[in-house]
Order: sequence, then structure tokens, then C-alpha cells
Amino acid sequence: MTRRTLFRILAAAVSQRLGAVAPPARKPAKRIVLITLGGIRRQESWSEQGLRYIPHLYNHLLPQSLFYPYTVNEGVTSHFNTIASVLTGVWQHVDDWGGDKPGSPTLFHQFLAQTGAGPEQTWVVTSNKQLTANISPGVNVILSKQLMVEAVERIITAQSARARLEREQILQEMTAVLETDAERIGWGVPSESVFRDPEVKQTFLAALARFIRGNEAPATGDELTFLIAREVLQRLAPAMLMINFSDMEVAHSGSYSLHLGGITRADMACYRMWEFIRSTEALRDNTTMVIMNEFGRDPDGSSTNGFFNHRTDTESCRLAWTMVLGPASGKPAVVERPMRQIDLTPSIAAWMGFDCGKTPGSRLPEFHA
Amino acid sequence: MPDELRIPADLIRRLPATFGPALNDQLRQSELLFPAERRQLEAQLKWLAQLPRAEFDKLFAPLVEVESRMDLHWESSAAGMSVRDVGILARSPLYPLWRTEVERVFARIDAAAEQPGDFQNLPRLLVCVLPAGLSVKDQPLWPELSAQGTWLSLDRPFGEMLPQFAAALAKRACPPGLEEDERTWVIESDTRLADLPGAAVLSWDDLATMRREFLRRLNAVHRDLRSVDQTTEELKRIDIARLVGPGIAANARLREFLRSLLLSGNGSLVFCNSFVEWGASEALRRAQPQVLIASFGIRQKLKPFSSVVLFEDQNRSNPAPDEGDPAGSLVDALELSTYVHLAVQRVVRRPERTLTLMASCDLNRVLVLGPSKPAAETNLTELALRWLA
Repeated sequence: MTRRTLFRILAAAVSQRLGAVAPPARKPAKRIVLITLGGIRRQESWSEQGLRYIPHLYNHLLPQSLFYPYTVNEGVTSHFNTIASVLTGVWQHVDDWGGDKPGSPTLFHQFLAQTGAGPEQTWVVTSNKQLTANISPGVNVILSKQLMVEAVERIITAQSARARLEREQILQEMTAVLETDAERIGWGVPSESVFRDPEVKQTFLAALARFIRGNEAPATGDELTFLIAREVLQRLAPAMLMINFSDMEVAHSGSYSLHLGGITRADMACYRMWEFIRSTEALRDNTTMVIMNEFGRDPDGSSTNGFFNHRTDTESCRLAWTMVLGPASGKPAVVERPMRQIDLTPSIAAWMGFDCGKTPGSRLPEFHA
Repeated sequence: MPDELRIPADLIRRLPATFGPALNDQLRQSELLFPAERRQLEAQLKWLAQLPRAEFDKLFAPLVEVESRMDLHWESSAAGMSVRDVGILARSPLYPLWRTEVERVFARIDAAAEQPGDFQNLPRLLVCVLPAGLSVKDQPLWPELSAQGTWLSLDRPFGEMLPQFAAALAKRACPPGLEEDERTWVIESDTRLADLPGAAVLSWDDLATMRREFLRRLNAVHRDLRSVDQTTEELKRIDIARLVGPGIAANARLREFLRSLLLSGNGSLVFCNSFVEWGASEALRRAQPQVLIASFGIRQKLKPFSSVVLFEDQNRSNPAPDEGDPAGSLVDALELSTYVHLAVQRVVRRPERTLTLMASCDLNRVLVLGPSKPAAETNLTELALRWLA
């Protein structure tokens, strides 16, 4: 009997219609874009040796941000539970695979209930397939990477007439999955009308086309997530958009170099998203963007195999960071006082002008209402 | 095969509920335990059985108290833990406290339970090898470890001497009582040492048939825990002897070690270097061989698109040609070889009795990490054999 034994079981053409897209029915006065990143340790990010992997966050975004370098995850250091905790303001202890709903109302739910906004105002675009429609009632959940996974698997396993993993064939297959199987692969829409809306459909088709035909030959889940999220922001301009990047989670399979590559792509995606917001007139002055990692990862030499996993009750795993950009950030500052991830919930709600209910989290005084 | 382990009938019943399934799982397959694991388990159980009842209860009381607040509904007679059980445990608010208590209990047991013989004090050797073809001359290798060790010059690149070096190690005279399964192990990416006489060898390239079969079945898992548990149970039961070479097929312990390794994740089914790292770490923890050679390789570049489905065969339907990733492999192998060294510090009872050699096939020097600094002109093979003698 050993400890481990016990723990083991443990389309570009489509985008030409951009100008023809009608604006959303009601323009929100304030918008929040919340970006969550998978597990990134301090030593591969905000440390002397880690800054090389986050050049945009460090050189371009930090100087204009409200930055909390000591953000603590006091809950379950798994993806669904962490994100559900941030969205509810209550540490969640539910099924990590997204099989359960969070035990408390989410920011999306409270926003919709209190403001009378329609479901077209709340979106989640995620690389992580665990963030199913269970994350919150009333929210549109787009499992972008899962769309590509489904298309690739159909081609590989000969379930499709398309036989090779070539860009145009993948585009056709993803479009087919989108048309017929989106719900089965975990996408969630609060009402069928949202998804049948030609404008919504065009949003996805345009993003897919950019992904396949883009000059930079993107190919990863996070690159597709970025393009879909940006298209959602540009065409639908919802009041609340949550984006999740998870390429760095290849760490679970033990490639350190690919893990670092995922961190660097997330750094670039965050920077490009903020640049897009800053360069879009309708978004520039009313959109706050929050970037946070869900947790760190396990320390080198740990019995859980270091960077591979995020299970230990250690500072390496529990210490995260939060960066706030835009109107809510006020004057750029680094706040060295520790904060909890659930403190973000009442802070976002207060800035957006609704009540997130009684939660254990404390509103951050630096987060401008 | 050794006799079945005998355990006092009421011992498992008296242990905390979370201990039962894991212990039962080990006992059910006790004949497949490596000698070192068996010695450890016997010593632990013997000590616990002889512990006065009051002290026994005092040792486990804090853990039992935590369990009582965790809403677990486990039977101590269960034969193992499912993925669902583990999920319930790991997301409990009390999980960190439970883990701390488990660590405390084992620290006490391991400190007190004396194992027979002098195996804990054996001198041991770990050799980590980077493959040829990496840009190892362009950057400092293992800078942090280098500060703790000594670089020893060789008269030729290590890769040229590896086969003879490994052969000399494998045919050394071993201490009496040291069983074959705990003498020399090789976990390698390629098949360079696959036929090394006198060693237990697991070669990633040689295991392609078994890996493909496991991946095929895992790819069929549906998006629910029941399906995961069902597939895992099927993979625990399938006959793998037909999927591996005769050397592994004939050795039940090694065969089951391999099955367990590939089912335990950590990239062992996906990347060659993850297989080497995790395999070496698990071998150190379980078999505790006196000599372990962990030989890393060059990982293939991930192909566009198919890389989103890591568990799939990257070559199926993908027109992109195979291409090695030496730059990425160097980053991976440096980190993962360090992890193997760190595993020694963590799982070996007397890590100061382990000499570690960090080598690259293209370099005519090796980094020696150990209790004493080798003289400049020392012959590496002689150094290693002398250490082990």
C-alpha cells in the first residue's frame, strides 16, 4: 500500500457580408470580456525566467492594466469547478466533467434576470470541452475546439465523404457538424431561435473561414477559439463574453515545449483581443477585459508529476493572477494584496450594474464601478 | 511466484474507508507486486497489525474524522476505486485536509515499519540519456543540476559508448538476494537497448501495437464517467501478451507494470518522452531497480489539425509528412530527465545512495550527480561499476 496507489485511481467569402449585419437589438452600456486561461505556473509566466513566454502580457498589457499578481484559487483546482466558482462567487465542488450545473446562480444568470437582457447578450466561447451548456442557464456556449475535434475525428475515422485532413475539407466538415450536430457535441443555446438566426450562423461560418484560409495558417484549438470569439464580439457585441483558452493543457500529456507554446499562443491571443477591442469604436470605451489563469500547476518534483497536473494543495498550484483592462481598471496599478478568484464576481457585477447576490467574495476596491 | 500475502482478517476493516479499496486492489494482485513493493507492504501491514489498538486508533483518528465529514459512501471491501469515486474524493472541500492526513499517516508508518534485509542501503545508479541529433552544443544543459554536480569528460561521445556501457552494467555481479526484476531496467524511446541481456527493457517503439490497441479503445470512450470506467476495466482485463514482445509477455510483473503505466495517463500513450519519464518514475517507485537507464528520443512534430486529437494516430488521413521536432524534444527531454532525477529524491528511501549520470549521445562529457566528485580522468564504466560494487 503506497500513497500513490491510494491517490491514483486517483468561410472568408461569407465575411464579405460584414457590413450587412444588423446591430444587436439593444446596445449594452457596458461590456465585459472575461478570458480564462488553463493552468500556468508562476515559473512559466510572471517570474524572471517565465516572462519570455508572455511578452505581450508583460510588455504591452501590464503597463495599462490593473494587475493582481497574487490571486488565490481556494477551491477545487479543476477547470469546470474553478470557472464555475469565478462565475458564481462561490467555491464550487461539482462534477469536473461538466456533468452538473453550478450550485449557485452565475453572473450570466443574474445579469439576464435583473436587466431583462435577452440571451443574445451572454456568450461563452471555449476551447475546454468541460465547459458545457451546464455552466449557466441562459448562456450561449460555443465549444469551438470540440467542433474541430469532431470534424477531424469524422475524417480520420472515415465517417465522412471527406477523406483527408486538408484545410478545405476540414472547413466543409466543420460546417457540416455545425449545421447538424452542434448540440450533440455540447454546444448550448438558450433558445433555438438564437442558433437559427442567420446572423449568428454567419458569425460562425465567417470565423471558420478565417481559421481555414487565414494567412497565418492557424491550426490549434485556441486559434479557432480566438477567431470565433472575436467574430462574436464584432458581429453580436454581447454584454458578457467569456473566452477560455486551453492549448497549454497539453501539459497533461507531458510535452513541456508544447505546454510553453500554448502559453505563448494564449499571450498573443489576449493581446490581439485587446487590440481588437481598442480598435473597434463600438467597443473601445465601454468594454472591460479581464484575463486570469485558472490556477498554476503542480511543483517540479511533486508526486503528481509536476507541470503535468494541477492537483496539489501548493502555492505552485493555487497561486494565479488577474489582469483588468479598460474602463473598470481605472489608473494602471499593481495590487500586491492577495485576492481570491471569487472576489472577481461581485466586482464584475457591480461594474456591470447588477447584484450578484450574497456571495463569500469581496468586491475589489480598485475595480471601478 | 511468491506466496499470497497474509493479512490479519480484521485489519482492513479497521482501516479508514478510503484505504480499503486501494489496499484490496493491491492484495488482489499481490503476486504481481515487485519484490520491493512486497517487502514494503509486508512491513507496513506487519507493523500495523502489531500496533496496540489504542495507538492504532490514535494514528488514524484524525483521518477517520475527516472521512466522516466527506460524505463518502465506500465499502472497505470494494476491490478498487473507479474514476467516479476518485472524482468525488478530489472535489470534496475536505480533499486537501484528507491528503495531508494520508501523508501524515504514511510518514509515520514508513518511518516505523522496518523492512528486512539491507536493500534500502544499496548503492543505486540512474542514467538519463538525451538522443543524438539535438542542438546540445548551443545551450547550457541542466544548468541548475550542473551547479550541484561535476562534468566528467569522455574520450568519445556518450552515444558511441552507450551499448557497451549498458552491457557492462547489466552483466555486473549483483548483491545476493536481489531478484532479477530489481537489478537493471531500461526505459527507452527507440529500440537501441531492446535486446540487452540481463535487463528489463521497455521500448516505446517496440510497443506500437499495444499502444495503438489501447488508443483505439480509449478513443471509443463516450463523454461520461461510466464509459471511462467501463473501458478502463476492459483494458485492465484484456490479454496483452499478444500485443508485446516475448520478453515482456513472459514476465507477468513487467507485463502488468506496462499495462498499469499506459493506463495511468501522464502522456505515456501519446509522447515517447513522456513514456520514458513516467515509466522511469514509476519503475523507481515500484520496482526500485538498482540500475535504471532512461533513454529519451526525438518526438514527432504535431501535425496541423490532427494534433487536436492527441489520442488518434497522427498519420491517419493526414497528408502532412512525418517530421521530427528536435528543438521541442530538447526542451522536453531536459525537463523530463530532471523529473526522473527528482523522482529519485522523492521515492528512493536513501537518495544519497544514488549516483545520477546525465548524458547526451552527442556529447563527450556527462554530468555526475552524487555524493563524491569523480577525478578528471575517471573511466565512466569503471566509475559506475565501482559505485555499484
